[in-house]
Amino acid sequence: MTTERARPNYVAVWVWLVVLMIAGVLASYLPFAKSAVIFLVFVVAATKALLVALYYMHLRFESGLIYAMVIVPVVLVIALTFLLFPDLVFHH
Amino acid sequence: METTAATRAGTDILPGKVGVWWFLASEVMLFGGLIGSFIVSRLGSSGWSGEAAHLSVPVAAINTLVLLTSSMTMVMAFGAVEKGDPRGLRTYLFLTVLLGLTFLGIKAYEYSSEVAAGFTPVTGLFWSFYYTMTGLHALHVLAGIITNLALFVMARRGLRNQHRVELAGLYWHFVDIVWIFLFPLLYLT
Amino acid sequence: MSDPVAVLAIPEASLHHEELGFWRTYLFSTEHKTIGKQYLSLGLFMTIVGGFLAYVMRWQLAYPDTEVPGWGFVGPEFYNVLVTMHGTIMVFFVAMPILLGAFGNFLIPLMIGARDMAFPRLNMLSFWTLFVGTLVLLASFFVPGGAASAGWTGYPPLSAKAIYTGVNWGLNLWILAHAIEFASFLMGGVNFLTTAITMRAPGMTFFRLPLVVWQLLTAATLFLLSVGPLIAGAVMLLMDRIAGTSFFLPEGGGEPLLWQHLFWFFGHPEVYVILLPAVGFVCEVLPVFCRKPLFGYRWIIYSTITAGILSFVVWAHHMFLSGMDPRLAMPFSITTILISVPFAILVFAMIATLWGGSIRFTTPMLFALGFVSMFIVGGLTGIFNGSAPADIYITDTYFVVGHFHYTLFSAVVFGGFAGIYFWFPKMFGRMMNETLGKVHFWLTLIFFNATFFPMHILGLGGMMRRIANPMQYQFLQPLQPINVFITFSAILLLVAQIPFAVNFVWGLVAGTPAERNPWEANTLEWAAPSPPPHLNWGEAIPTVHRGPYEYSSPEGPEDWLPQDRLVVARSS
Ligand SMILES: [Cu+2]
Repeated sequence: MTTERARPNYVAVWVWLVVLMIAGVLASYLPFAKSAVIFLVFVVAATKALLVALYYMHLRFESGLIYAMVIVPVVLVIALTFLLFPDLVFHH
Repeated sequence: METTAATRAGTDILPGKVGVWWFLASEVMLFGGLIGSFIVSRLGSSGWSGEAAHLSVPVAAINTLVLLTSSMTMVMAFGAVEKGDPRGLRTYLFLTVLLGLTFLGIKAYEYSSEVAAGFTPVTGLFWSFYYTMTGLHALHVLAGIITNLALFVMARRGLRNQHRVELAGLYWHFVDIVWIFLFPLLYLT
Repeated sequence: MSDPVAVLAIPEASLHHEELGFWRTYLFSTEHKTIGKQYLSLGLFMTIVGGFLAYVMRWQLAYPDTEVPGWGFVGPEFYNVLVTMHGTIMVFFVAMPILLGAFGNFLIPLMIGARDMAFPRLNMLSFWTLFVGTLVLLASFFVPGGAASAGWTGYPPLSAKAIYTGVNWGLNLWILAHAIEFASFLMGGVNFLTTAITMRAPGMTFFRLPLVVWQLLTAATLFLLSVGPLIAGAVMLLMDRIAGTSFFLPEGGGEPLLWQHLFWFFGHPEVYVILLPAVGFVCEVLPVFCRKPLFGYRWIIYSTITAGILSFVVWAHHMFLSGMDPRLAMPFSITTILISVPFAILVFAMIATLWGGSIRFTTPMLFALGFVSMFIVGGLTGIFNGSAPADIYITDTYFVVGHFHYTLFSAVVFGGFAGIYFWFPKMFGRMMNETLGKVHFWLTLIFFNATFFPMHILGLGGMMRRIANPMQYQFLQPLQPINVFITFSAILLLVAQIPFAVNFVWGLVAGTPAERNPWEANTLEWAAPSPPPHLNWGEAIPTVHRGPYEYSSPEGPEDWLPQDRLVVARSS
């Protein structure tokens, strides 16, 4: 099963990861509004995470079942964090 | 009418892979709960940027590079298994372990310089979160190093159960992904 | 290497195994049936501990500050220990080991037609991890300062500093015991899910699985996905206690409410981790003793999954009066009321199964019916707790105590006993005594209601949930006869378990040997000998031809049609 699959170029993915990492660090020094910088930095981080998951963890080549096992907890974590906002961020 | 399959009805995914992914799902919830708590605490308090400025971005960036590279060597170890290259497997596993240890070493250096500068877990809530999150992550790195070391020893004796490299790799990449988020969360914002 | 046939071949090759020694057979066994029995023994033992704590607590409430017969003087500090440890033990060391650990391990491989769990050694490890956790928890009674006393929910700031409760090591060990227990059930849950996903017998599609397997899997999923944030919270709490941080301490900039959120994000799904397996047992028992198919098989599955998803967005109904942002009360009330819809579907499906059946009132059937009826009462009182306006009045009173005992106690006791009486013949190869079983059921049903129903009245009368001495409050003094009544009912409820203990031991030693299929049931476990041999199925694993509940089907000669029986279509 595993041998038939086409394998991504691991070194090329690594080059992308390093480029993105440097981009993320540099982005944090950009003279934009703070919220824009934070947004940019986390878009870069999410892209890196996605690269690792898709190519190094071979998520691209997995079935829907395993996708569900990744997506459901991520959605739950995001929901939990947002529902914590009223009490911990807004301080009603 | 009968829909009886000729073999097992179970999907043909490796049991080990299903198990590891379920385990990782629970780990996502663990780190997710911690990171979520950090995000809301940080957004709800002022002055944390000033605290975060005491951390060293260059050192952490080098550490990120180390961990990203170790992910590559780990996946190349798996590639070596697939190609039937035992020498490559041993080399890449060894490199992964070495890079993992390097990460922990740099982290220890960071801790000691921060403590020397007077920033301990009780200095403030930011530092409590910083030490707890990176500490829990470091424990995961340590567990990964031990696993990879065990695989390396097995590989020297002739690894029989080869998909273990893939499973250990899944865990190692997950630990890498956690750091990919911890790095900007703690150092870059 | 990932060839499914090769995976299959591993257990097949060890079919003719060499005799294992005593240690490997009974103690450090990797065999799912033995491990299931180990969970059952541990859970039953901890029931005695938790039950004894309940007795001491009840005596203190009936006759405050007198010597408790068989124990001694209690006092407010130790009363807090009793409340805390009773809750912790019953939820984490009785309900989960029995309902999830014992039955999950015993039933899942047998019901899906597998030879064992996907990871047998991990399975052994999860039991012994739980064993260590239990020892740590019990040890906490004997350390200086005594056991944890911050409530089973461990709310900070009370739990975040040793000086607040006077308990230092007891509470640290309490956190540690939880962490070990969580690790154990994480391993167990991964094993359950992987086994059911990858090791089903030929023909066993997902929609031919017995419902109890679906419910156990949903329970395991809920646990896996909800416990993470609480472990994160427990790490923070331990840091507060040991390293001196202030995650949950307002004076250091922390927020105690964060713990409550993390705890109940886990806490509500945890309720279903306990409840769903019991619902599953009832779903298995009802059709067998009604001799007709379970009503709405697929709807029960969809309802279970819906309830599971909704259980992640109801947690703040435990926090209406915690000082939480009041804007959260409305959405969480709505989701809470919404979650009663899938459970109503479940209950209606059970009742519809009874309709027109030829009911056999065996002991497992009586307990299953007991569960359905008592669970309805618990569900109805839950509506009051879930609606913020009503909950503001009754929260943290005995109304809540009454409510969650009607749901959880009925799940563990009625559901659990339904399971034990039903699968005892398969587990141990002998029958239990029906007469003793019926005596056990009726006494339990009567004293269960006598114990927990009056608690609602106490709660509406204003009696707070965790007070050691109700007589201190003038407005509670007229209610004291109710407290005395509850105490004696509770003692009789404990005494009512003696017939079960006798029956269980007698059944093990001298019960009539059980046939392969004593209840004339359809699911796969009854196709194996009683008790099933090592690796369950002899030379060939069974092939599944149909769903699990085809009773009174015209296709077969009898009124039951096992899942693995091949019926040649009659040519007309
Ligand atoms: Cu709840």
